[in-house]
Amino acid sequence: MGGRVVAGVQVPDPVISVTAAGIRFRRNRRSRRSFKDLLSGRARRRRPDEFWPLRDVSFEVAPGEAIGVVGRNGQGKSTLLKLVAEVILPDEGSVAVGAGVAPLIEITGGFVDDLSVRDNVYLTAGLHGMKRTEIDARFDEIIDFAEIGDFLDTPYKHLSSGMRVRIAFAVISRLEEPVILVDEVLAVGDRAFKEKCYRRIEELLDGGRTLFFVSHNEKDLRRFCTRGLYLDKGALVLDASIADVLARYDADYGVKK
Amino acid sequence: MTDVLPRRSPWSRFGRYRHSLWLLTRRDLRVRYSTSALGYFWSILDPLVMAGIYWFVFTQVFRRGVGEDPYIVFLLAGLLPWMWFTGTVSDCTRAFLREAKLIRSTKIPRTIWVTRLVLSKGIEFVASFPVIAGFAVFAGATLHLEVLWTLLAIALQSVLLIGIGLIVAPLVVFFRDLERAVKLTLRFLFYASPIIYGVTDLPPGLHVLAAFNPLSGIFSLYRAAFFPQQLDWFAVGIAAALSFTLLAIGIAVFRGAERAVLKEI
Repeated sequence: MGGRVVAGVQVPDPVISVTAAGIRFRRNRRSRRSFKDLLSGRARRRRPDEFWPLRDVSFEVAPGEAIGVVGRNGQGKSTLLKLVAEVILPDEGSVAVGAGVAPLIEITGGFVDDLSVRDNVYLTAGLHGMKRTEIDARFDEIIDFAEIGDFLDTPYKHLSSGMRVRIAFAVISRLEEPVILVDEVLAVGDRAFKEKCYRRIEELLDGGRTLFFVSHNEKDLRRFCTRGLYLDKGALVLDASIADVLARYDADYGVKK
Repeated sequence: MTDVLPRRSPWSRFGRYRHSLWLLTRRDLRVRYSTSALGYFWSILDPLVMAGIYWFVFTQVFRRGVGEDPYIVFLLAGLLPWMWFTGTVSDCTRAFLREAKLIRSTKIPRTIWVTRLVLSKGIEFVASFPVIAGFAVFAGATLHLEVLWTLLAIALQSVLLIGIGLIVAPLVVFFRDLERAVKLTLRFLFYASPIIYGVTDLPPGLHVLAAFNPLSGIFSLYRAAFFPQQLDWFAVGIAAALSFTLLAIGIAVFRGAERAVLKEI
């Protein structure tokens, strides 16, 4: 691992570096076009107005940092998370992630209804880059964590929605990747399991993982994060300690206490 | 407690791609075969019924003036690879939409959504070889050394399919009508390709034109296994050139559209 020297101090290479990143979406447009639009010519076609959910966002994250992303709905938080997960690509600037990522975004996305829980665990962990022997070594622990031992050979579609999220969280959080991205997935599940998930996240943080956390819950943000990013109207407004960021957010959007 | 397990060994780029491709292909085959009792039988039933119909029409109803004897073997040697072709291309129209959730949550190289279709349909194609072998024995067709060209044919058809898939899959996301246009084109192509007939059955003036359908050359390679006189190297050469050209265009289209596709789904 390399590094640079800033003001006489050795700083590790950033694990995430986002440089002037921007992404453009189209508003007022049906999700898909038909041939008719294509043939109707440029002049008659209405120029779709574009908007930038995120623009000119730059920051770097060092290994082991825990970042909380704060902002109102629709200010680009989830978009930023997806950019870091590299499941969407920026139109401007660049996003570089130097290490493997365990994305807790749409965690049940890779699961197949018709396959058993066991097959699904191997499939999803495999798609996230785990080898068979590595999954074998962690399999029991994943199942224990999800508390789902009796349903190993049940088709995934017969699980309750709570169980689905539990098994998905258990798999993704066991990927041993250096970077963890958490969207507000943990809203599902009972209180006890949620607490269990949070303890797992803390455990991972203690193990030196880098966390990128999107939430509206101030308590959760304070619990995990040391640094905050405040997004407003598609721009990175403030990059400071989580306490400062939350204070600014409260000041801007008057959360009454 | 988090670090008791050894650190995971890193993947090479290619290794990771191959691993994901294999997992997805196995998933597809497993889902298909675990959800129906007849499993494998279904995947060969479709070409069998089609072959049965054409065999009946062209040998019992009409006096057949096309193809070679035994006609059922001649027919299957074109029909089975056609099933691979048409199945893959029509599935490619939904390659992104069907897997939207997975694409939104994992960072697998995006071309895999096309290549996995080519691979899983290709495996089904290879799995249907016993059908044609059975009919060859039953109808008394002789297998020639030219059967080795089958490998070249599979390679060329894979290149062609990946090329077409890389063009079709992203464009359908933007132009919904393309899905129907593709279905229509496939139906047209069925009769425009040497499946129920051979290129030599066409009027002489059309021979050169027919060679510009890449399937002509590829199917002639398959048919050479039983009917070496069907092998047409001119058509094979053009098929190879067209397949690689389409692959190059496909890669370019895919690169250009990838960013926008990810936003749409």
